[in-house]
Amino acid sequence: MGVLSAIGNTPEDNHASLISEKAGISRITKIDTIHKNEIMVGEIKATNAELKQQLGLSLDLPFSRTALLGAVAAAQAIKSAHVQDINDCRTGLISGTTVGGMDKSEQYYYDYFQNDRHWGHINGLHAGDSTQKIAAYLGLEESLVTTISTACSSAANAIMLGTRMIKSGLLDRVIVGGSDCLCKFTINGFKTLMILSDTHNTPFDENRKGLNLGEAAAYLVLESEEIVKRRNKDVLAYVKGYGNANDAFHQTASSDDGDGAVLAMEKALKVAGLNKNDIDYINAHGTATPNNDLSEGRALLRIFGKNVPVFSSTKAFTGHTLAAAGGIEAVYSVLALQHNVIYPNLNFETPMKEFDLIPQTQLKEKKLRTVLSNSFGFGGNCSTLIFSKEA
Amino acid sequence: MKPSSFHIASYCRIIDNNIVKNDEVLFTEKTGDLSSFLKKAYKHMEIRYPKFFKMDTLSKLAFIAAETLLKDSVEKNTALVFSNKSSSLDTDRKHSASITDSVHPYASPAIFVYTLPNICLGEISIRHSLYSENSFFIFDEFNPRLLTDYCDSLLSTGKTEKILCGWVDVDKQEYDAFLYLIARTGVYPYTTDELTRLYRKT
Repeated sequence: MGVLSAIGNTPEDNHASLISEKAGISRITKIDTIHKNEIMVGEIKATNAELKQQLGLSLDLPFSRTALLGAVAAAQAIKSAHVQDINDCRTGLISGTTVGGMDKSEQYYYDYFQNDRHWGHINGLHAGDSTQKIAAYLGLEESLVTTISTACSSAANAIMLGTRMIKSGLLDRVIVGGSDCLCKFTINGFKTLMILSDTHNTPFDENRKGLNLGEAAAYLVLESEEIVKRRNKDVLAYVKGYGNANDAFHQTASSDDGDGAVLAMEKALKVAGLNKNDIDYINAHGTATPNNDLSEGRALLRIFGKNVPVFSSTKAFTGHTLAAAGGIEAVYSVLALQHNVIYPNLNFETPMKEFDLIPQTQLKEKKLRTVLSNSFGFGGNCSTLIFSKEA
Repeated sequence: MKPSSFHIASYCRIIDNNIVKNDEVLFTEKTGDLSSFLKKAYKHMEIRYPKFFKMDTLSKLAFIAAETLLKDSVEKNTALVFSNKSSSLDTDRKHSASITDSVHPYASPAIFVYTLPNICLGEISIRHSLYSENSFFIFDEFNPRLLTDYCDSLLSTGKTEKILCGWVDVDKQEYDAFLYLIARTGVYPYTTDELTRLYRKT
């Protein structure tokens, strides 16, 4: 696993911040936006120049921040999986992103009319560009390299597709996850939708004011059973179940009763062959927008009834990292399994009036076998992943 | 279940101010642009769905075509597999004009959300409560072979019971919609030859 977020540059760093309640939400420093005094974000400390240096790339290369963050996290994942030769079996890369190269193309948009100096950045606008650059950086040859852009469920869907590719025998190993950097486009877009909080986000709280945007990249290396056996490797966790469903409600909002979320969780439980009672912890999508938390809460009640498992949203730590959210939260789910802990849902004070759901607000030690992670995207693209300790 | 046991239950073509369903003209207008034609079609079909008026032109066109085929269908596991050549360009142009307006440049959420072609699939899903599979392809022209391959895969793996499939394209005043419903029973054979025949004839 590899991860870069506002609360750390490695899985270990992220875990340390999560268990010591160190949130990464602050004022924005790297983007000069007119909203800088009104919004809080989850920003990664490293500058683009520092990231390029870390990757050994020339400073003039037209890499978007999405590609840089992604390359660092993916390289970290490959290293931690002890992959020496990435082309020693059929290895793919499936990466989720929504921002792609927008951070740079919006910066050089007007220059582009004057001269071609920043053509590389303009040409790097599309979502696939970051994936191609990450693949090239990792040295992937002749393999499946593809991009998923389904808003905030992108990385979760990348993990799901990767799992299915391995299950069906089309790949032996696949690097899955996502990367999204902050940019004006997403800041302004979410601002227009009036779902940005002007203070720290408060998932599942009655008085929640909206989300904080964040940036992150996270990748996991999935391998087939055969490769694991052949190399006698330690398995961190299994992708036990997955489900994706269409909410059929609205272009941006989730349905009031969480129809899509219910379908996604049902499908994931079915694929996993698990009962709802088998879920030990839910890493909720919990963006802290009025709409998401109500819809997701109702969906949890519809699936689990009176016995909703212990749940928390980690968005108060990282902000909502859009396409990368399902990736970093997959890493957090695996870390939770490894350490047998449930991460706290920060900033929760008042239960919502619609129901009596209360997230886990303190760090909790608990023997975990299975973790369910939700990621819901605009357009009603709802995904659920289930991770387990045992195959 | 083998895909060969499926049929085309019905089809709808909207082009040149005509709406044809299963060889029968449902509605026609001699004059008027696309936008007024679709509005009149909506009224003629006695649809009551105020969200229609907020949609972009591509969604309106797809919506009307889908309405003719799905209004009598109760099967909720109906996949949507659409295609076109102009993506959402018609709305992209409006969005571009709005953000570069010299007096009041503004990104309107009402326009912006339609700057993807597959939004029309969402509108149809919302209208008919379809929580089903959906996909939108961009081709140079109506490509029954590729659509059929994709649909066969959905049908043979049991992912869906019915499929609303076809072509919906809008750019400026040019438009063309050809949708067909694939089901277990129907009057037309479900083959690429038949699809080509129906598309060419209407």
